[in-house]
Amino acid sequence: MISINKFKNFPNLVLTIAVKNIKMKYKNSALGFVWSLLHPLAYLLIFILVFSNAFAGVERYSLFALIGLVFWTFFNSSINQMLQAIIANASVLKTIAIPKLLFPFSALIAELITFLLSLIPFFGLMFFFGLQLSVELLWLVPAVIIFAFFTFGVGLLLCTLNVFFRDIGLLWNTLSPAIFYFTPIAYSSSLIPEKYLTILQFNPLLHYINLMREILYNNATPSLHLWAVTTGIAVSCTVIGLLVYNRLKNNFVSFY
Amino acid sequence: MAEIVIEVKNLYVDFFVQNQAVNSFKDLVMSLGLKSPFQRKSILKGVDLEIKKGECFALMGKNGSGKSTLLRTLAGIITPTSGEMIVNGRIAPMLSIGAGLELELSGYDNIKIIATLMGMNNSEIKTATAFVETFSELSKEDLKMQVKRYSAGMIARLGFSISVAQTPDILIVDEALSVGDIGFQEKCAQRINEIKKSGCSIIYVSHSLTELKRICTHGACLVDGKIAMVAEIDKVAAYYESLFHQHA
Repeated sequence: MISINKFKNFPNLVLTIAVKNIKMKYKNSALGFVWSLLHPLAYLLIFILVFSNAFAGVERYSLFALIGLVFWTFFNSSINQMLQAIIANASVLKTIAIPKLLFPFSALIAELITFLLSLIPFFGLMFFFGLQLSVELLWLVPAVIIFAFFTFGVGLLLCTLNVFFRDIGLLWNTLSPAIFYFTPIAYSSSLIPEKYLTILQFNPLLHYINLMREILYNNATPSLHLWAVTTGIAVSCTVIGLLVYNRLKNNFVSFY
Repeated sequence: MAEIVIEVKNLYVDFFVQNQAVNSFKDLVMSLGLKSPFQRKSILKGVDLEIKKGECFALMGKNGSGKSTLLRTLAGIITPTSGEMIVNGRIAPMLSIGAGLELELSGYDNIKIIATLMGMNNSEIKTATAFVETFSELSKEDLKMQVKRYSAGMIARLGFSISVAQTPDILIVDEALSVGDIGFQEKCAQRINEIKKSGCSIIYVSHSLTELKRICTHGACLVDGKIAMVAEIDKVAAYYESLFHQHA
């Protein structure tokens, strides 16, 4: 059957589409890939100028903020790309029988490739800001994988719903700056008053940023509790995303 | 008895569409969730169809009768709501020329992307690229250029060439042949003939009866999501024409 044939080819398909997405994103721009570095750097500059005095209690503030920014940038741009992935490829999905999952998944892989490449210059900068080398940094590998699964689940859910209600995309544009400030990226969660900290716990991003900071900022092995929470959220989000996608995918065709 | 490549029994396809009674968010809230924002609309209502190996089969019907939906279902793009469907062989759907072409990228990039989407592996893509180079008559310089700088005819040439690069078992054509200049149209018709001679079955949708009569031997006419008639091409064509004169 055709479908089996196509699935054997899936990794190749994903790579081709991901590379295409990267090419398309930076096509006709003089700086190209540098843009993906400039965005977090611009925010970093603002944070250092504005907040480094206010948060004087945070040691090596530049490193602290940069870690948060790098992972936020990956999350935010992945969601942005995934949200449009199915709608933008409607003409292909109407003419060729391929799993629709290909497009959101490739969008994530494209962002992941960009993110991993951006880590090279960012690591240089982190050393400049006081990052210390240690074996614990290797925890970053599973941490990034877990974070990617979380992003995939959220992105797939939003992408699926966005086919039926374009409000989802608009809602995300409105909410993402709010989520950005609701997540301890520029500040430390230790600055939050005790009584509000419980509310902040419901922001899944908080746990991922904490995880990354444990590894990159504290050079520590993250606690089992932190691993459990982040893995749990990632698995639940991926399962929910896939369930909703599978339930609704056959109804996409009249909404492109 | 000739081998059957496509067998469809009692095929139903429903679409999920916006409920016309719920036009705004206000309507949705005011109905207190009693009205669903969606409803089902049935497009194909029990289609039976058999297509034999090597047969060239015409599909006729008024606009909105479900032709494209049937073709997309056969091609595996739409999942049927109920019914049986057996497809023996590799289907090449030619549903619209130029779908999936990325205007910002070069002709070569596009060949690679679309061929990959069509399920070709690397060596097949190489063969297909060579085929497109000769068949489309676009020069290597043209193919290195971004597709947005192509003329409409050049885009059609590129799109058509990619979609006929491989010889499939079943070819589905949805009014795709009216592309390019006269020279290229003849070439397209020739290629379709070649594919036909290789023993491939063809399902052909067109509103041009002369074209259908030239290519096809048998056909069916869809009326309101059901097959109203399956017969030799001349009979079906006459029936299809009579649909437009009934109330005249």
